[in-house]
Amino acid sequence: MKKIDISTILASAIHESKNQVGTLLYQLQSLKESMVSKDANQKKIVSIEESLKKLNDEWVEYLYLYKLASDGYDLHADTFLLDEFLDDQVFALQPSANARNLELGYACNESLTGVFDERLMTAVVSTAVYNAFRFAKSKIIINAKQENNFLVISVEDDGPGFKQTDDEPDDFLEGNTGLGLYFAELSASAHLAGNARGYIKKDSSASLGGASLIVYLPQPVREDC
Amino acid sequence: MAQQDFSKKKALLIEDMAEARIMQRKMLTDFGFTSIEIAMKAETAIELLKNKNFDVILSDYNLGNGKDGQQLLEEVRHSKLIPNTATYLMVTAETSIEMVMGAIEYQPDGYITKPFSQAGLQRRLSKLLETKDRLYDVNVALDKGEYESAIAAAKVVMEKYPSLSGKCERIIGESFIELQQYDKALSLFSKILKSRKMPWALFGKGKSYFLMGELEKAEQSFRQLMLDNRFFVSAYDWLAKIQFSEGKLEDAQATLIEAIARSPKNILRQMELGKISLLLNDSVTAEMSFRRAVFLAKYSCYNTAEVYLNHLESLARISDDGPLLPRQRDNFNSTLKKIHESFFEDPDHKAKAYSCEIDVFLADKDILTAKQIFEAWLSEVKGGAATAPTKKQSSAYAESFGS
Repeated sequence: MKKIDISTILASAIHESKNQVGTLLYQLQSLKESMVSKDANQKKIVSIEESLKKLNDEWVEYLYLYKLASDGYDLHADTFLLDEFLDDQVFALQPSANARNLELGYACNESLTGVFDERLMTAVVSTAVYNAFRFAKSKIIINAKQENNFLVISVEDDGPGFKQTDDEPDDFLEGNTGLGLYFAELSASAHLAGNARGYIKKDSSASLGGASLIVYLPQPVREDC
Repeated sequence: MAQQDFSKKKALLIEDMAEARIMQRKMLTDFGFTSIEIAMKAETAIELLKNKNFDVILSDYNLGNGKDGQQLLEEVRHSKLIPNTATYLMVTAETSIEMVMGAIEYQPDGYITKPFSQAGLQRRLSKLLETKDRLYDVNVALDKGEYESAIAAAKVVMEKYPSLSGKCERIIGESFIELQQYDKALSLFSKILKSRKMPWALFGKGKSYFLMGELEKAEQSFRQLMLDNRFFVSAYDWLAKIQFSEGKLEDAQATLIEAIARSPKNILRQMELGKISLLLNDSVTAEMSFRRAVFLAKYSCYNTAEVYLNHLESLARISDDGPLLPRQRDNFNSTLKKIHESFFEDPDHKAKAYSCEIDVFLADKDILTAKQIFEAWLSEVKGGAATAPTKKQSSAYAESFGS
């Protein structure tokens, strides 16, 4: 028998599962609408919905991870207004933040633009925010700014911050933190401009005191400046 | 963001899966839409779009066995079935999104990835409609083909809404091309590329160079696009055009075969490959392309006699090397039948169909039938219903008939 590549099988299995999660979400939405608003089960339904959404986002992350790792991902870089991009991310993640009683916001110069792959960065930001959900006490903020020739996007929280002993192999196997970071790293480094390559940095948040995951994305150098 | 009033907008929802269709219809109703038409497949959608005007088209990418949402979009935009003032929102899955984003020439106004929430869809639609409102004057001018005024209007919009400058610059560049002011288009696209890497700007640059006759520079742009992303399939089409203009038919054929491997359902691309293959006397490849084109033409805006006649021609050329196989013969008869049904009014079409039929019967050594067909053709010529055979054809037939 021809040997089959297990990672390809896993990727398509994830795809199937993801589609089923989508169907479940649709069904849940109609269930939610058929209930009277004061039904005691509403809260449970919302929590199931949030978990399914997170599961869906995780499957998307794993699919991209597979594609990035197997060189099958074609970067689709375009120019975006950061104000709009971050507003979209916060909008999509707001219900999950609300369900956890956490505040989620963003800050950037409203005319800031950046060149990046929107789908990858959407997945990276949501991965980072889901991760911050686990540690934040009350607040998460997404910041964006231009620094030299890099677009810098950071996801900061007011939790205990990254452990000092980082980059240990256990960290990677321990839970979804490591995998999420690996994904963010691959995504960032898929972004190239000239000789510069994207990268990530684990830092502490100056404004909130907790962890700060910073993604650096190289930007094309403007010839006319 | 202003809350949009959806109540006066006409929506068309195209979705093949019942569950999703019911859900999306309900969402649209909740947003305030009062006029919502439903199509379960692309073919039905085309009929609806031919007969009615819509403001919002919400189409799934995956539409079952027929055409997909992207082909539908390309067709209706190409044939101007939907005005530029209408909003086309594509619903995609993670697997199909690359195909949508890779279609540089015909992109939807926006896309939304499944699964999405009601709030998510409402927000996306509101944003898109807000943008359409702002670009209204520009789009009206484009729909009328008044490119000078489209450019002027786009400059006004850019001034007022800097966030729309990318969209406006693209419209201005493409309008310059329509106005055949290629040097202006080129300098605009090049200027954009200096500060921002936009696939559409690189595409516009390549197209401008091509139209200016600078084939080598055009090729560079399209090759760069192909390197950037393998889903930019229309870059292959343009590269094939360049190779064709340079007389490199084999290269053009190879480029199109590669493009078709990536995106097989584009009828114009299949036709192009068929035509080039005929010129190369590669009648087997030509037949395959035209057979697919015939299949794709059904219910399409490109359902023209040319598609069917080309298929007959390619089979007739195969028969030059010997009788058709039973399967090929069936294909020939089936396409011929379609011509008889729909395209048998035009004298040229008749002449073409008759000549292909004679060739095929001659290959079978069925001289009697071939003769009968030739006689039928000649009698139609007398009545003025068919174009006369050429001298070359007449003498070739006379020789084959042995009379």
